[in-house]
Amino acid sequence: MINSDLQALITTLEMAALTTIILLMIGTPLAWYLAKMTSRFKVIIEAVVALPLVLPPTVLGFYLLIAFSPEHLPGQLWQQATGQQLAFSFSAIVIGSVLYSLPFVVQPLQKAFEQLGDSLLEAGSLLGAGPIDRFFSIVLPLTKASFITAASLGFAHTVGEFGIILMIGGNIPGETRVLSIALFDHVEAFDYARAHLLSISLLIGSMILLAAIYWLNLPKKKRRQRLSVNTKQKQTNSYE
Amino acid sequence: MSNVLLDKTPLTKGSFNIVPDDKHSQLDINISVCYQQFDLEIKLPIPLNGIAGIFGHSASGKSTLLRAIAGLEKKLVGEITLTDTNIADKVLVNTTKGIYLKPEERQIGLVFQNSRLFGHLSVLGNLEYAVKRCKNRRLDLNEVIELTELTALLEHQISELSGGQQQRVALARAILAEPKLLLLDEPLSALDQHSKTQLLKMILNIQKKLNLPMLYVSHSLDELQQVCDTLLVLAQGKVVNFGNIHQVIHQLNNFGESTLIHQQTSLSLAIKQFNNGHGLTVLALNAQQEIYLISDKSFENQTQLRCFILASDISIALTEPNNSSIVNHLFGTIKQISNKQNKVLLTISCGSQEFFVTISAFSQQKLSLASRQQVYLQFKASAVRTFIH
Repeated sequence: MINSDLQALITTLEMAALTTIILLMIGTPLAWYLAKMTSRFKVIIEAVVALPLVLPPTVLGFYLLIAFSPEHLPGQLWQQATGQQLAFSFSAIVIGSVLYSLPFVVQPLQKAFEQLGDSLLEAGSLLGAGPIDRFFSIVLPLTKASFITAASLGFAHTVGEFGIILMIGGNIPGETRVLSIALFDHVEAFDYARAHLLSISLLIGSMILLAAIYWLNLPKKKRRQRLSVNTKQKQTNSYE
Repeated sequence: MSNVLLDKTPLTKGSFNIVPDDKHSQLDINISVCYQQFDLEIKLPIPLNGIAGIFGHSASGKSTLLRAIAGLEKKLVGEITLTDTNIADKVLVNTTKGIYLKPEERQIGLVFQNSRLFGHLSVLGNLEYAVKRCKNRRLDLNEVIELTELTALLEHQISELSGGQQQRVALARAILAEPKLLLLDEPLSALDQHSKTQLLKMILNIQKKLNLPMLYVSHSLDELQQVCDTLLVLAQGKVVNFGNIHQVIHQLNNFGESTLIHQQTSLSLAIKQFNNGHGLTVLALNAQQEIYLISDKSFENQTQLRCFILASDISIALTEPNNSSIVNHLFGTIKQISNKQNKVLLTISCGSQEFFVTISAFSQQKLSLASRQQVYLQFKASAVRTFIH
């Protein structure tokens, strides 16, 4: 892989990793709040969270571009705090990705928290466990699969993002030039060989990631069975 | 008892036959919870001594009361205070003062109907969960494991356990948190008869060994009759009666139009002979009279037995029925006769013990039974029931 593409890959992975961490930190309490919420406003918050699923990324990107510009309050505040412009920066594409991938993290977690219910938490509280203790000792281990799903979907979806980054990040190498944009550049320049290379590596990478999620989400016993079946098959193959 | 917290209105003391003493801790309850179906209004002190039963039909408010005590019921208004002679009063809730202790701060244990075990932990993991969070540990984990007969199951996953085993783990886990009071919410209702008997004995044994006060909620009077010392009866969110278990059951026999229970005589008698050679156990009713019932292995090594006889299982004779296969004949005096349509409820004293008998109005007329008349009660050995049967 050529240097510039490698740099795009690094930028992409950095963006996706940071986005996923932020998403888990924001998405977990939000999902918890939504799961326990009984107010009428629940549907409105749910709709706002789900919006990126239906909205064209360019719409979200357009509004973010305006908000991030130094003429508007969010952009101004950012500039005052950091001394740097927000639009067309790495921070901008991370913020955009967080908003864009939010439903992929919040929805599986919310569903898991709703299914978990209150009964085990009540049992935990009667055994002396406070709220934070209950989260780490009961909620997290019992909804581990959903956390893995949420994190992987958030990560994978961020890697595959295009429209929103083009709008708010532009195409600055080492800063905002991510894989999907590099690919678009190659196609525009009729460099199909490099486009193929990027495409196939993205495709295989995504395949591996998704397979890993499904495997991690298998119950432990089945995971062991699959492994032992595979080793047995390998053994029989080696006898042939 | 310091009643400073309970403002001007003192707790109901005289209306029920339980008088709080200074030896035991006690739970002062004065709460109301509004629901769509009914309003729960409970105002009384419950002495925490042995096992107190809470009886009522579904939607009588008994589970809500337990949840209120445990801190799981957020909608209540009023106050609950745990008073103890040795330590300062512990206010669990006082809505006028804005006090609401969280469940984790109350040191009250609860065994749920559906054990609510943590599926991601093994049996031992579930027990250790409670041990790790217990301050001032006094109990030995191994002792509790032995008491609840879990030694062979420690490494098992929760999904591998039967219903009875799961409840035993839940019981052990609740005890290991070392609560000051253990609440049991229909702990046997999902179990088969064998597991019910086993768990009930375990609960009794643990209560005695650890001297842990318990509140036991059930809709099954048989269950409560077997283990409880006192009984609180709830109907539609109100306290109907509270007192000594036998006395309360006997008072319920005369409970208005709608009978809450099967009318019965509730007894706690000394075992005179475990097996009389014919598979019958002999109980001493008083110096002269005995009651026979069918022996069960579980009576062995016991000195006292709880049993009950349904009022409809006893019949009346004017002369001693010597030529009968029915083994139990008792001599007594009719104390009270109450008619209800074509049914007659007789209260008969045999020495100091009262028996309750229902007969038809037709039989009463035929025998021309009247108050203070001396009669013979007769009932089969199989009519003397224990929870085990």
